[in-house]
Amino acid sequence: MAVVTLQNIVKHYESGGAPAVDDVSFTVEDGEFMVLLGPSGCGKSTTLRMVAGLESITSGRLAIDHQLMNAVPAKNRDIAMVFQSYALYPHMSVRDNLGFGLKRRHTNRRLVRQRVEEVAASIGLTAYLDRKPHALSGGQRQRVALGRAIVRDPKVFLFDEPLSNLDAALRVSTRAELVRLHRELSATMIYVTHDQVEAMTMGDRVCIMEHGRVAQIGTPMEVYLNPANAFVAAFLGNPPMNLMPATADGGAVLLGGRRVAAVAAEGDVLFGIRPEDLTPTDDARAAVISGRVASLEPLGAETLIHVDRGDSTVIVRGPRVPSARLDEPIHLRADPGMIRLFDAATGEAIRLPEEAMT
Amino acid sequence: MAFASDRTAVASRPRISTAALRSAALILFIALYTAFAAGPFVWVASMSLRTTTEINADHYAFPWPMHFEKFAVAWTESNYDTYFFNSAAVVLAAVAILTVVGGMAAHCFARYRFPLKGVVYFLIFSTIIFPPQVTVIGLFQLMVDYGLYNSRIGLVLVYVAIQLPITIYILEAFFARIPGDLFDAARIDGYSEWAIFWKISLPVALPAISTTIILNTILLWNEFLYAVVLITDDDKRTLPLGVLRFMGDQLEDVGMIATGLMIAIVPVVLIYVFFSERLIQGMTAGAVK
Repeated sequence: MAVVTLQNIVKHYESGGAPAVDDVSFTVEDGEFMVLLGPSGCGKSTTLRMVAGLESITSGRLAIDHQLMNAVPAKNRDIAMVFQSYALYPHMSVRDNLGFGLKRRHTNRRLVRQRVEEVAASIGLTAYLDRKPHALSGGQRQRVALGRAIVRDPKVFLFDEPLSNLDAALRVSTRAELVRLHRELSATMIYVTHDQVEAMTMGDRVCIMEHGRVAQIGTPMEVYLNPANAFVAAFLGNPPMNLMPATADGGAVLLGGRRVAAVAAEGDVLFGIRPEDLTPTDDARAAVISGRVASLEPLGAETLIHVDRGDSTVIVRGPRVPSARLDEPIHLRADPGMIRLFDAATGEAIRLPEEAMT
Repeated sequence: MAFASDRTAVASRPRISTAALRSAALILFIALYTAFAAGPFVWVASMSLRTTTEINADHYAFPWPMHFEKFAVAWTESNYDTYFFNSAAVVLAAVAILTVVGGMAAHCFARYRFPLKGVVYFLIFSTIIFPPQVTVIGLFQLMVDYGLYNSRIGLVLVYVAIQLPITIYILEAFFARIPGDLFDAARIDGYSEWAIFWKISLPVALPAISTTIILNTILLWNEFLYAVVLITDDDKRTLPLGVLRFMGDQLEDVGMIATGLMIAIVPVVLIYVFFSERLIQGMTAGAVK
């Protein structure tokens, strides 16, 4: 098992333009499950491919177990990777797919065979060992791809959106299986996804990327509760955090003419509150937001209430049967501890003093 | 109700006959085309079993009695055993080199970016712009200068050169469709680029590889122009040159020419019969997954 260190990693493509990955630094500790999360084109896959050795590193240092890896070819890095497309060798049986990497390293056929069968049994592939990949279902292919990584017992596991080709039900069960696998192997894993549910449920830590840069790194709860900037606030959560333009006068934040929080900042700010931290109230004076119910989205367990407040829409997570009625006025109270403020120009979070609510 | 059923009856009757008419027309067309394509072949086949005297008497008569002994005569007395061996050796060597060299070149064009890639690609393909009649004189001089004239090795090299562009073209198109993740996965599994070519590229591209093998084998087996220009010794001749043996200044032994042609054609027909399915598969193969 291993520690993976990225220091000021930059990737420029020959075609020019902005760097695909720009000054990325983080350390994945031994046995840690690190998730790289971000929208498509944010550089997360490129970062992973640089760790794998499939992309060259323009500048910066990449180390595995404190050994510089920048110039080491992929085949000598002792890592395993699971691809989104699974990348199973179509001309080989499942058995050969699993053993392909081992055969390169061990000449002892009997040991290879034994290890392949052992791993196949642990992920339920024994019955399919002699099939070709095209005779397997999507879920089975995914397991072969996983098995191919496990068999090698590598220093680091890399995952490039391995669940995005599975249907929803399979995705949930495979997610659980991956978490179990990580616990059993206690291996260092780096996992790339654009799916925040995967990031929240699987990661020990989440690294959120935007435009090739690291936006925030932290445990899933940290990044959810205390987003470092407006991008993370708006990216995480479904629906994401409500962000509304407001102004600060040096002592308090004014939202639609109401004092909603005390803060030392001045100028334009963004007032952020998660949908679950807003509650409808009858007391118009205690409300921070008032508006009209624009639409109701019953989801079964809860109902999302879209509130039109003139210049913007706010989403509230309401109970299964909300008291709000379509087109009627509504007043919303905010949980004072959950209010987040961001600089309107830079998007950076503004620290609030404790008990800031007036 | 009655009105409606009347209408369907009227409508359905001509539909059946249209379909029948269509398939009849199709069968007629296929039959005509088959006769057009296979006619000359059948004619040569019938002539190969008749003597020249019989042929001169009636060009299209049924071959009776069948002179199968003509094949034995051609094989033993007219050196066809040597021609056959020469053809087999030259074609086998050329196709083997073409497959390996063409495969490697195609792999590089499909997978790697390197300086002057476009120029190299153009240079390889520029050779097919000119018809062989234009270059054959220069090629003849070149082969003489390098001591490769009148040598089977020289002929193999020429065959490789003329078939390389189309081989690379077919293989490159196929290699380019193999998902790049496969190669990345093999790299991560610890394999070198060299090993990846042999263990991933070639086996995955097997349909395309067999297409080029069959195509090159048939084309080169029948090749006449370069062989007749570059080979003079009778014991180095390939099968297509075998017919020359029956062509004198005054006399043409038409019957034996037909027999010689059949000996040359039969292997090609056999290859095609046994591999045609694979050939079509390779030409139409789309799904690598």
